[in-house]
Amino acid sequence: MSDTSTNNDTTAKTDDTTSTTAITTIEALHEYLGRAMQLEHATIPPYLTALYSLHPQTNSAANQVLRVVAVEEMLHLTSVANLMNAVGGQVDLTAPGFVPEFPTYLPDGEEDFQVNLACFSPATLETFLKIERPAAAPDEARRLMPARRRTDIMVTAPGDPELRYYSIGEFYAEIERGFNYLHDRHGDQLFSGDPTHQAGPEYYYSGGGELRRVVDIDSARSSIELIIGQGEGVGTGAFDAENELAHYYRFEQLKLGRYYQLGDEPHHPTGPDCEVDWSAVYPTQTNPRVGDLSGFPELQETAVSFNRFYADFLALLTKAFNGEPELLIEAVPKMFEIRNKATVLIRNPIPGSSATHSAADPTPDGPMHAAPTFEMESQ
Amino acid sequence: MSTPTHDVVVVGAGVAGAVMAKHLTDAGLRVLMLEAGPGTPQTLDGYEHHLNTFYEASAKGPESAWPTAPQVPQPDTADLRFNDGYFVQRGPQLYGSSYSRLQGGSTLHWLGVSLRMLPEDFDMGSRFGVGRDWPLRYDDLEPFYRKAELDLGVSADVADQQYHGITFADGYDFPMSRVPMSYADQWLADAVGDLEVPIGTESVPIQVRSYPAARNSMPRPGYGPVGALDRRGDGQVRPGLIGERCQGNTSCTPICPVQAKYNAGRTLAQIDPGHLEVRAQAVASKINVDPTDGMVTGITYQRYDGSSYVEEVAIGRRYVLAAHAVENAKIMLMSGLTGPNDMVGANLMDHPTLYAWGLAPEPVYPFRGPLSTAGVEDLRGGPFRSTHAAFRFDVANDGWRAPTGAPDTTVTGEVDQGHFGADLRRRLATTLTRQVRLSLAVEQLPDPANRISLDWRFLDPLGNPRPAINYRIDEYTLAGMVEAKRVAGAMFSRAGIEDRSDDDVQKWFPTIEHQGQVFSYHGMGHFAGTHMMGDDARTSVVDHSQRSWDHQNLYLIGSGSFPTMGTSNPTLTIAALAVRTAETLAAELGDLSAGRVGANVRSTDR
Ligand SMILES: Cc1cc2nc3c(=O)[nH]c(=O)nc-3n(C[C@H](O)[C@H](O)[C@H](O)COP(=O)(O)OP(=O)(O)OC[C@H]3O[C@@H](n4cnc5c(N)ncnc54)[C@H](O)[C@@H]3O)c2cc1C
Ligand code: SF4
Repeated sequence: MSDTSTNNDTTAKTDDTTSTTAITTIEALHEYLGRAMQLEHATIPPYLTALYSLHPQTNSAANQVLRVVAVEEMLHLTSVANLMNAVGGQVDLTAPGFVPEFPTYLPDGEEDFQVNLACFSPATLETFLKIERPAAAPDEARRLMPARRRTDIMVTAPGDPELRYYSIGEFYAEIERGFNYLHDRHGDQLFSGDPTHQAGPEYYYSGGGELRRVVDIDSARSSIELIIGQGEGVGTGAFDAENELAHYYRFEQLKLGRYYQLGDEPHHPTGPDCEVDWSAVYPTQTNPRVGDLSGFPELQETAVSFNRFYADFLALLTKAFNGEPELLIEAVPKMFEIRNKATVLIRNPIPGSSATHSAADPTPDGPMHAAPTFEMESQ
Repeated sequence: MSTPTHDVVVVGAGVAGAVMAKHLTDAGLRVLMLEAGPGTPQTLDGYEHHLNTFYEASAKGPESAWPTAPQVPQPDTADLRFNDGYFVQRGPQLYGSSYSRLQGGSTLHWLGVSLRMLPEDFDMGSRFGVGRDWPLRYDDLEPFYRKAELDLGVSADVADQQYHGITFADGYDFPMSRVPMSYADQWLADAVGDLEVPIGTESVPIQVRSYPAARNSMPRPGYGPVGALDRRGDGQVRPGLIGERCQGNTSCTPICPVQAKYNAGRTLAQIDPGHLEVRAQAVASKINVDPTDGMVTGITYQRYDGSSYVEEVAIGRRYVLAAHAVENAKIMLMSGLTGPNDMVGANLMDHPTLYAWGLAPEPVYPFRGPLSTAGVEDLRGGPFRSTHAAFRFDVANDGWRAPTGAPDTTVTGEVDQGHFGADLRRRLATTLTRQVRLSLAVEQLPDPANRISLDWRFLDPLGNPRPAINYRIDEYTLAGMVEAKRVAGAMFSRAGIEDRSDDDVQKWFPTIEHQGQVFSYHGMGHFAGTHMMGDDARTSVVDHSQRSWDHQNLYLIGSGSFPTMGTSNPTLTIAALAVRTAETLAAELGDLSAGRVGANVRSTDR
């Protein structure tokens, strides 16, 4: 596992506009940004499933960490939409394949894991750590690596599925290089998008990070750097410039049972205890399918209606991102509805099923619980 | 005399103390804060513990989420049922309000209504010949209202708030845009239409209007809303794991689950820990005064843990009492400091409040959104104030919950009548969805006979006396109640709302009779007037800077300083005054320090 303290400094490197970039046309930039949206979204279903699998009023540490990470993924999704809009691209969250089929590969340095839709557990947490793990390529030549296995999505280089980026951070670094390169070529004409399509900070805030309107090269760069910084941290360590802890280290607190405090070295938190109750979790079916519920019409109908609702939600976001940002207000109550609908599934055991876990796995045994399947009809 | 450990000692970690401490520390001063209650609400885990206490409570009164330590008893609205609580009520009327004694103070369970006072509220004496004038005008306070709106994070649109002479600085708008009005508000606004009511010699149009609230909504450019903060024992602040805008949980009182609603802990957590020391479980019990010049030499406090406590003395260059109107008076009186003509503790006020409720002709869908989002402000001012009290209404979003205990009692009521199954569901769907309620909050004037005193027969576990209250609702307020009821009735009949107000339902509410009419009233938690300000040392306790006339290094802050309170909920004005006093104090201490440097320079020159 790489350590951020040995990271290359992404900012310095990518500001160097003389470096080569794979993104030499605006069309290529659009394609990369489309991939980026897909990437940002793909982590949301697994994070939400884990979050809603926690028993209510328990596991407040895990609850907070999962919540904030999921919410920041929404921020990143919207930030990428702003980048896309700024350069005149179109966003489509309803396109076939936009929502991956789980289990799915996500990119990281080694193609050593798949992402499941699963309840919160030590194994799930390991996966989340891998998703967010800080990983910078050891050197320029290895930023793009041969893909050992063909994956359908993400950080393969658009146009050449045989190549893939070393990490999500490197993928975004490429996008930043592309912005720099194209800005050098086209000047401010690169930002041909309609500025009224930008979703501004009034549409999003939580404790950390804010949504920026992208109208020029500076705002484009700072949006990209926010995404990289919040996810994995950058060269500086566990905390970013605003003293916000990167996702990787937020998850690591749950693993190590201790909170980070300012000044801590990566992997060595020294703050107060961070308690996790692995047994206060609904043991949901891993990578569920609507088809698995055929014997239980009520559950099945609920699962189908969840998916329909989620598809409508993505359609609403698509409209919002394509010029009607005020629709993001309507999206907010829908997110509560997503939570409510997911909870109905997750609190219900599947009759007659049973889940037994190895002695090492503290997830409770017993009947398996239902969970949202995130199967989109277009697939 | 011992040397000060801090520049300023502040007693009480409520909104007054927190805003004070924020501005003092921003100016570079070092502050020691003594807080009587536990410090639990300051950490996110502690706050969640209180949330769970609320979830588990069977009665969801304003205090249900916030039990404090037995050493620092506090009033509870339910005390009124048997009059057996913290207050020793001496009548003739019962005082119906409560507050909280733990870190964060009463804003932990306030509703968040953040109205400015009207310009005419500041000179009731000279304009209407009742009450008294403030030593300040609205214009003196306007810049500080803006600062307070920033500190508390107030959501509103200036466009809605310019009425009865309220003005705003050019180009100003609130930090966040208004919280959307509920469907019920909009329905009622439409249903009352262009209703005008006669009052005094005038005819006044009635409007349902969004009110300013200290709840996070959509920020205006340049403003970053403050969400939940997490201040750990080691002094570290971990920002915003949950920092959200209002999401309509409908439990603002007693507790906002996501801290979208302001509480004083948010201000405390924003203060540089290098400049602020908060000592929780430290009950100020005596102000020590030098008899020769009246200067305060220290504040004695009881630091408790388990069943024992120790007495310690806090020493600063200046002292600020910010322990709430009642407790400020109590600490003064416990120290034998009574002010001119026994004015410490006197002139206690509140907004005695009535409920009016009814069934709308069609569904208005209550039980969603903040407990209320709109009000009727049109009768807060006017020439009629020379004869009777002004009033304002809150338009509720929680149906008949407050007076009748709906929705639970609506369900049990139907079941008791033998309804069940589909029939029951249908009946509930037709009644619960049509419940409309107004709160009619009525102004009260200062009356020296209405007061806080000490009752040494009743001691708390630390040996401190309980506060005794003499309280009377006078003709001026009663006449205002009559008018408020009449206006509510006019709104109901114009809107086609069937009036269901029934004093029998509110059995345990205190009542008062007036001209054959019986009013069940309750308190609003709007204590005021126990150490009022003025421009004459013989007729007031503090001056316009809230500085004690008798003790020049002592400040008493909060709604106790209000000479009159008009109809606005007091907290925004408390905060504005606190900012103003903090700036005065910081300037004064800054000048002093500069002066001292000058003296040193001279002495070395010599
Ligand atoms: C149910 C309810 C709803 C309300 N809604 C609104 C509203 O919508 N709008 C509005 O403007 N106002 C509202 N209020 C009133 C508002 O809560 C108060 O005006 C405000 O909190 C007063 O602030 P304060 O700092 O003066 O006192 P407090 O908030 O009460 O803080 C005083 C602090 O001092 C501490 N303290 C007490 N005694 C001592 C001692 N001896 N030594 C050391 N510390 C001590 C207390 O523990 C507390 O922390 C409401 C009140 C209630 C009860
Ligand atoms: S409605 Fe809910 S979210 Fe909004 S302030 Fe009240 S309790 Fe908080």
